[in-house]
Amino acid sequence: MTGSSPSRGQSYHWATTSPQRTVLEEILSDDRNSEARHRFLLEAAKREHERVREEAERVYREQLQKEERQRLLDARRKEEERIRLEEELAADRARLNALKAKKIEIPPPLPEPEPSAPPTVNGKASAPALSEKPAPVQSNGATAKSVPASKPSAPPIPSPPQSQAPATALNKAPEPEKPANSVLSVNGLVNRTSRVAGATPDAGTSLPVPQQPIQARPDRYAEIHKNLKMLRKFMADQAKTNPALKGRMGDMRREIRKSVGQLTVTQGVAGVNKVQQQNIFKLLREALSNQVQSQLMDPSNFVLEPRNPVEGAAHNEPALPSIFLYLINIFAKAAISQFINESGARPETADPVGVCVVATLSEPDFLWRGVSLIDILLAKFRIVCPVLFGYRGNEKTEQGRQRLGWWKDSGRWVPEQQHMDRMTGLGAGFAAISLRNFAMSKKTNPYPPREYWAAMARIVNTPAAEISNTQCVVLKAMVEGYEQKFIEFYGTAAVEALRTALIEFPARAPQKSAAVNSLEVLARSLKRDTGLVLG
Amino acid sequence: MADLASRISKPSDAPADDGAAPAPAAADGNGAEKPVDEGTNSGLVETSYDVEVKLSDLQADQDSPLYSVSSFEELGLPKPINDGLLAMNFKKPSKIQERALPLMISNPPTNMIAQSQSGTGKTAAFVLTVLSRVDLTKPTQPQALLLAPSRELARQIQGVIQTIGKFCENLIVEAAIPGSISRETGVKGSVVVGTPGTVMDLIRRRQFDVSQLKILVIDEADNMLDQQGMGDQCVRVKGLLPRTVQILLFSATFPDKVMNFARKYAPNANEIKLRHQELTVKGISQMYMDCPDESQKYDILCKLYGLMTIGSSVIFVKTRESATEIQRRMEADGHKVSALHGAHEGQNRDALLDDFRSGRSKVLITTNVLARGIDVSSVSMVINYDIPMKGFGDKEPDMETYLHRIGRTGRFGRVGVSISFVYDRKSFEALSQIANYYDIDLVQLSPDDWDMTEKKVQEVIKSSRARPDYAPNPLGN
Repeated sequence: MTGSSPSRGQSYHWATTSPQRTVLEEILSDDRNSEARHRFLLEAAKREHERVREEAERVYREQLQKEERQRLLDARRKEEERIRLEEELAADRARLNALKAKKIEIPPPLPEPEPSAPPTVNGKASAPALSEKPAPVQSNGATAKSVPASKPSAPPIPSPPQSQAPATALNKAPEPEKPANSVLSVNGLVNRTSRVAGATPDAGTSLPVPQQPIQARPDRYAEIHKNLKMLRKFMADQAKTNPALKGRMGDMRREIRKSVGQLTVTQGVAGVNKVQQQNIFKLLREALSNQVQSQLMDPSNFVLEPRNPVEGAAHNEPALPSIFLYLINIFAKAAISQFINESGARPETADPVGVCVVATLSEPDFLWRGVSLIDILLAKFRIVCPVLFGYRGNEKTEQGRQRLGWWKDSGRWVPEQQHMDRMTGLGAGFAAISLRNFAMSKKTNPYPPREYWAAMARIVNTPAAEISNTQCVVLKAMVEGYEQKFIEFYGTAAVEALRTALIEFPARAPQKSAAVNSLEVLARSLKRDTGLVLG
Repeated sequence: MADLASRISKPSDAPADDGAAPAPAAADGNGAEKPVDEGTNSGLVETSYDVEVKLSDLQADQDSPLYSVSSFEELGLPKPINDGLLAMNFKKPSKIQERALPLMISNPPTNMIAQSQSGTGKTAAFVLTVLSRVDLTKPTQPQALLLAPSRELARQIQGVIQTIGKFCENLIVEAAIPGSISRETGVKGSVVVGTPGTVMDLIRRRQFDVSQLKILVIDEADNMLDQQGMGDQCVRVKGLLPRTVQILLFSATFPDKVMNFARKYAPNANEIKLRHQELTVKGISQMYMDCPDESQKYDILCKLYGLMTIGSSVIFVKTRESATEIQRRMEADGHKVSALHGAHEGQNRDALLDDFRSGRSKVLITTNVLARGIDVSSVSMVINYDIPMKGFGDKEPDMETYLHRIGRTGRFGRVGVSISFVYDRKSFEALSQIANYYDIDLVQLSPDDWDMTEKKVQEVIKSSRARPDYAPNPLGN
């Protein structure tokens, strides 16, 4: 208290005497014991007392307010935590239900799976969604009629034998969506909401359309691939008569290739590849501006389905500069080539390339009629790594190898190790592209995680007699290093899928080759290194 | 159901698509697969399907360093070791492994002097031998000693042992390099990898009990035994070991004069040797760039990265100064670079090399300190910014170093490119001598028209892959 009342002596001095007077003088002064002075002192003491009390009260009030604020904050946090936990619980339960439901449903249907189906189910509550799922899928399949690629895809999780493959495929492909649905209904986790969000708009607009064809007519990719070759020739011809184009095209191509080659593993550090990413954007924008006066071209040649103008899209025109399409093609080619040449030896190098690919092909400026041009990249994937799209083959036969994407050089099959290296790089590259999280992005994911699920399903649902080493190698590369991302997207369903891929699938393989065994070894490595127990 | 199932399991013309939707999909499928399936596959699906791949196509050349037929399982390796190999994507042994392993792991232990091209699996060969000899019930008793010429190489070998041995319980691998063994405890591992000087010190200070060593491996043996200081140390180390120790000497190069010494060092050894014309790896496309003058080498260097798809790359230079300058220029061009040379201290060197190994940097600029042994599988281009020279006043080309340098790429049958820069008469003649010695056709590149140069490089890469004797194999490490 004394400490808080330092003003007493001073105020007295101030009121009664000049500041210069000394204490001694005061003591010795005449009115030292006068009544007036006594009163005055009393008055001063009272005022001081009040001041101190007011101050104390003010501090007290402030403290109370502070505490109240803190209490509210804590309460809110607690509440949020509770909601989060509940959401998680709900999601888990939904997933569990989904799994249960799925297992039961396996036997009956023979229809064709339709990945696009899931989005439509989005609104449903988790449990009903499950049961409903198969239904929409089937109807979709029916409408789609030819769903070739999907056929290979069979039940992911089901232990059922090969024969049922197609039927279960249905369940499998849609399945990924289930967790999302359930979460959605709970107004879910950022993660999943976003993913669903990505999917939902698609469903509304154009995605479902392209989606269907992916499954229905896989060879559209081959057509696109052919068209891209024509495009290359077309550009070379243009360059002969257009010196401006000739002068710039080669440099741009080499710059893109260089930038893709410069991408390095980030290990969680942001911005490591910013310079390269911006350089690629800059080159593609330059191409869009068409200063070199390349001829215009209809992008329909390079997408799965015809597209109509979309409101708000940056490019609705019926044709784009051919140099731009060419450079997108070069970019896709550079990425694939990086997967083959670099990631084949070191799969972890695929990740930054995948990030760059998805970031570039989702950039609003580079969309055509509101949708990504990623089909150009997928067409290449379809050619170099067909097993991702459900193709199968026997490695001991000419045709089988051809179907598996076993490369030929000068008329001879490339050696086995080179083939397996390629497949490793491409499997890792596919995962790097399809397992990207767009939760925090305003952009639309051009190739959402359900594509990863579908591709995995197509491989693991292969009838035992047709399992090939190529598939095992691709599957291993898809999984290794991506198990965490996969589980983040699909939760328990992902764990179940991993069990199917790394335990059941190799167990079914008739020949225990090194490639088959390495899947089981991967399961053991996961257990050892991450504690994830699948078996 | 049955109907559908049967259609699915039949691997007929269209891959997977025809099952569910026979008509349209099959048509599409044929479109895509015309070349192979049309003629043969239209009628009798099953028979046409039985056309076997002509294996002779693939493995015509039995002398290829990577050709092999057997499997690791046939070598009788314990399961944990085999699992470790599978986890590393090793699927089949390479030639050197297939030939040398049975000799090395048989009993009684026999010495071995083995030569094989760079990137053909020498390290894995001796690591497998070491692992098969170590008694894991005595995890802290040193039983195997591996010597390497540099700390980087020693750490790399340590890493390989740990990776292949990751399913081996109780395997302790220690690196006997400066600053890594505690003075208090001494060496407490069943396998010890080190540089000769440090190993000598440890043994002398009685911090390394060599009484139960069963096996001694010397990697880059020609280099180790030939160098003044290191050769002496190797001899002294051997003198301190039990007489029964099995000695394995490995290198990609064994000049004749070193070979005699090697035979004394490892008496009665089995030998696997190569002629020097066989030494270069066929998968590496070797080219040279004709630079107008020395000052333009920097700019030309940066341009190379647009010509082809490059994973990681190594640039060999003569001086630390040019290493620093190249680093500056390349970083300005967007590359992430590690520059590593003798000026750096041990720990710092470790960190720089780790950046490169882990892929945080993709360009390694170095002087000769790293010419040998360093294995980063994704290196797809090696540049001799300066031609390697040796002797007084750099008067003659250094054949061995050239070979070891370009051997940093093309690992395990992968595609690799080496480009040597020449800019004056001396560098041109030095490179010509190297080319003659190894009997290689160097392809000339010119910096005048990059469109043309790009085309040429692509063709060279393609043709080297298609070369008949280029037969890579399943080993990837």
